[in-house]
Amino acid sequence: MRRKLSLVIAATFITALAVINHGCSRSGSDVGDNDDALAVDLNDSKIQERLGVDDGYAFAIMYGADIHGSLETCG
Amino acid sequence: MGGLARRVSYIKAFKHRSNMEVPTLLVDAGNLFTDDRFSASQLPPEVMTRNKWVVKGYGAFRHDAANISYLDLPYLAELLKKDGYDQRIADYPFIERLVSANIHPMDDQYREPAPYVIKEITLKRGAPDKTLKVGIIGFSEPKPAGPNGKETVYAGFRIDDPFEAAKKILPELKRKTDFIVALAYMDIGSTQRLATENSEIDTIIAARQTSNMDEPQHFNRATITYAYNQTKYLGELRVYMKGDGSPENQINRYVALDSTIPDDVPAQDVVTQAHTEFTADQNASASSAAAAPKSPALLASSDSPYVGVETCAGCHEKENQVWASSRHAHAMATLEKRNQQFDNECVKCHVVGFQRGGFQSLYTTPQFANVQCEECHGPGRQHANNPGKGYGFMATPSGCVQCHKEPNDPDFDFAVYWPKIQH
Repeated sequence: MRRKLSLVIAATFITALAVINHGCSRSGSDVGDNDDALAVDLNDSKIQERLGVDDGYAFAIMYGADIHGSLETCG
Repeated sequence: MGGLARRVSYIKAFKHRSNMEVPTLLVDAGNLFTDDRFSASQLPPEVMTRNKWVVKGYGAFRHDAANISYLDLPYLAELLKKDGYDQRIADYPFIERLVSANIHPMDDQYREPAPYVIKEITLKRGAPDKTLKVGIIGFSEPKPAGPNGKETVYAGFRIDDPFEAAKKILPELKRKTDFIVALAYMDIGSTQRLATENSEIDTIIAARQTSNMDEPQHFNRATITYAYNQTKYLGELRVYMKGDGSPENQINRYVALDSTIPDDVPAQDVVTQAHTEFTADQNASASSAAAAPKSPALLASSDSPYVGVETCAGCHEKENQVWASSRHAHAMATLEKRNQQFDNECVKCHVVGFQRGGFQSLYTTPQFANVQCEECHGPGRQHANNPGKGYGFMATPSGCVQCHKEPNDPDFDFAVYWPKIQH
């Protein structure tokens, strides 16, 4: 009985830890992996043109620079 | 064009379009923070606020790494202070993703920035299920000083030779990773040298306020691409892999972040919050500046090579009337509507003589706000003192496109625009 109780406590602890860790990883996850409400209509021809052809690339690096303290650009 | 909200929107669309099969890294090649009006080892409060929101925004919409350039050092000093560092990291974990292999603090009140970060991605294409370790390392050139000089010490940091730093650290990073991305805030020649001397690098993403969208260059085994100034175009480097898990090819694209790309709503919320706080700080600074006695800079404006539109209008009344009804005469109001009147990146095209002895700021030289006569015709002090022919030559349209260039004004057409201000 004592052994079963220990197992239940251990399982509960592991489950709780997994839930906590899952929560942490979600809050720091990459752009687009969560909160997936898209502002873009993927069927829009202009958006499709901007996205280009999906030709089998394995991964992508998006990059920028020189925002110089501004999350916006000039008006 | 550009902005965080469109950038995030495009990246989300890119990932969804590929059914979330494509791991996507997001990096910045440097000059994240503004060092405008840095003096006496301090940044003004509104500048601190702007930079803080970059850290928040880049953290919230997770950037995998950002390179530290010499321009970033005044604010980096705030972020890397040992005093309060643990709390700062807890609040803004993005700080640990700021990298530089050749920038080091001058004294022990600051922590060392990480030379690189390693990001693990699991591939679904090319080499399915392979876990790829991507090393992202940063380099900066020294701060330019004068026509040919370089400053290797700035804002409490030492900027070491990037080529020596690369030789020292890249072999170690190569042992730990499968693919190396170098972020380089350097001119073209130095970037090519970095690639030529270091065969460990797979990709160099470079930046230095350039607005060119050239094809990628290949030196040694590295592909070199350049980030577009202010990220008005988002760089997109697609990497193709062989079945054995080695890189096969890289293709670069520049994505115009214009009105075709709608703002991402959560990202726009962050931008709006930043804007609100920044505006409050600006208003506080403006109030204290208004209450202060006239600044020496304003009193000394008679030393400027510029005289301002009021003086021009004394003789050129008809031309002044045309100007007064043009958008040039209200250029500063355009920025004020968006609370960008203190953003030098924007201001330089909305005033006369910026950083050439004319406009300094709205506090000190309000008489040089807006795009006045002398912005196109040249400084008029001598002409005003000794009127006569020989002054006023205007190079068109080459002079106009200094500001009316494609990312700022994609619809600019000299034949259409000139009649609006013809005089």
